[in-house]
Amino acid sequence: MLSDVLYIRRKRQTKQAVAILTLLLLVFTTFGHGASQWMLVVARLPLLLTGSMSGWPITGGFALNIFISIISMAAATVMGVLLGIAMMAHRGWLRRPAILLMNFLRNAPWLVLLFSMLYLLPYHAELFGIRFDFSPVAKSIIGLSLPTAANFAEIIRGAVQSIHAGQWESARSLGYSHLQIYRLVILPQALRRIIPGWMSLYALLMISTALATVTGVQEVVTLLRTTLAMESESTLIYFYVAVLLMFFFYCYPIALLARRLENKTKGDAI
Amino acid sequence: MAGLDYTWLLDPVYQQWLLKGVGITLELAVISSLFAIVIGLVATLALTLRIAWLDALIELFVELFRNTPPLLQMLFFYFTLTQLGFTVEDPVTGLQKPLFSAFASACVSLSLFGGALCVEAFRSGMEAVPKATLEAARALGYTRLGLFRHVQVPIASRVCLPALTNVLTNLFKTTSQSSVITVPELMYAAGQIYNDTFRTLEVMLLVLVIYVVLVSLLAWGLSCLERLFAYPGYGNGG
Repeated sequence: MLSDVLYIRRKRQTKQAVAILTLLLLVFTTFGHGASQWMLVVARLPLLLTGSMSGWPITGGFALNIFISIISMAAATVMGVLLGIAMMAHRGWLRRPAILLMNFLRNAPWLVLLFSMLYLLPYHAELFGIRFDFSPVAKSIIGLSLPTAANFAEIIRGAVQSIHAGQWESARSLGYSHLQIYRLVILPQALRRIIPGWMSLYALLMISTALATVTGVQEVVTLLRTTLAMESESTLIYFYVAVLLMFFFYCYPIALLARRLENKTKGDAI
Repeated sequence: MAGLDYTWLLDPVYQQWLLKGVGITLELAVISSLFAIVIGLVATLALTLRIAWLDALIELFVELFRNTPPLLQMLFFYFTLTQLGFTVEDPVTGLQKPLFSAFASACVSLSLFGGALCVEAFRSGMEAVPKATLEAARALGYTRLGLFRHVQVPIASRVCLPALTNVLTNLFKTTSQSSVITVPELMYAAGQIYNDTFRTLEVMLLVLVIYVVLVSLLAWGLSCLERLFAYPGYGNGG
């Protein structure tokens, strides 16, 4: 059995070796017959990233994926907090429907929810005299934020319930009210456990924005497929690798940070 | 909601399409779950050997598949393997056709995606075995294999069941994405039906309910398994 230090060092060395090999492979293919193909990918890169050929104005592409993910996450956070609170309510008429809704949204495939939202939501609605137009982007944001909210509600519930019951009892014996216990004792501790889950949920949501292609918005997968329809077949793999790497390099740091935070909070389960 | 019209459901043709779709969804889910679990087990076994370079490669595999969209992975497998030369000659027409059909490439990509998730789940289970338990077992004279067989596996397999439930339900839900590469599963059948009847809202609501019921059944079954294997002091069963 290797010592821990040596093990970690060897592991890092292997990762570096893989990175160098990949780079070498890229360089090799660039000087080999892959050069023209990579040039095509590079020429189309502004289109894939921003949705317009010159890179400005931003009309879609990977930037739209990021936009959708951020807005959906914001909406999901608000809805998830409300749903999470409702799921922990003492009143049964509030708790039971909330749990039912959470289970429904969590057990439905993201793609099917997204597709349903596409048809369920009207093209425009009028609320308090203001006219709301539901563009495909708005519909995909709503469709993606619903399952995310359900997952976030479950994360909140898990974090709050993982706080030891003794904390409740001692806080109550000190004369705190129910709301005060939440605000001063439970939430500060729960927040530390919610944040890693929230971050990895964001990474998951970002990955799922690729599904928005079914609603026909000009995000990166839609653009990829229309681009490939114009290009020759031999460039296929280069384009796919480029888009896969886009997602990987965006989501991996987030997932890594989430894991690190999670490991930090692992010890304090009192 | 008013005005829902489900009369098309009485048509035996549509019933058959839906049933066939459910069948293929289940088939896809079962095959890819089995392969995913096998991949997860083999990789976790390899991780316990603590071979640094192998562990680094497994970690890279997990991160690569966890941080890219499964939809894109599926498209990648379906379209690029053909281009890389994985083709066979069609015995009837004599033309080159893809080695993997849409169904097979969906299975391959779902297995790899699920496998990556399974490695994570199993590994966290193995890490949940307390260090003190391992030290105690080693002090009692267990060999490396005996430790693994009698201590690590019985504890870890119980601890990782909730995580496995998550992975398998996630994998089941992901099968719906293979409709994009024309695998004729439930979601694809839904598309066929509403193209025929123009009843998009009703069809999608029905499919949503079918998926929720199937996934809930799966989750319920696995939670029963969890309760069956509950182990005092570990996980929720304590």
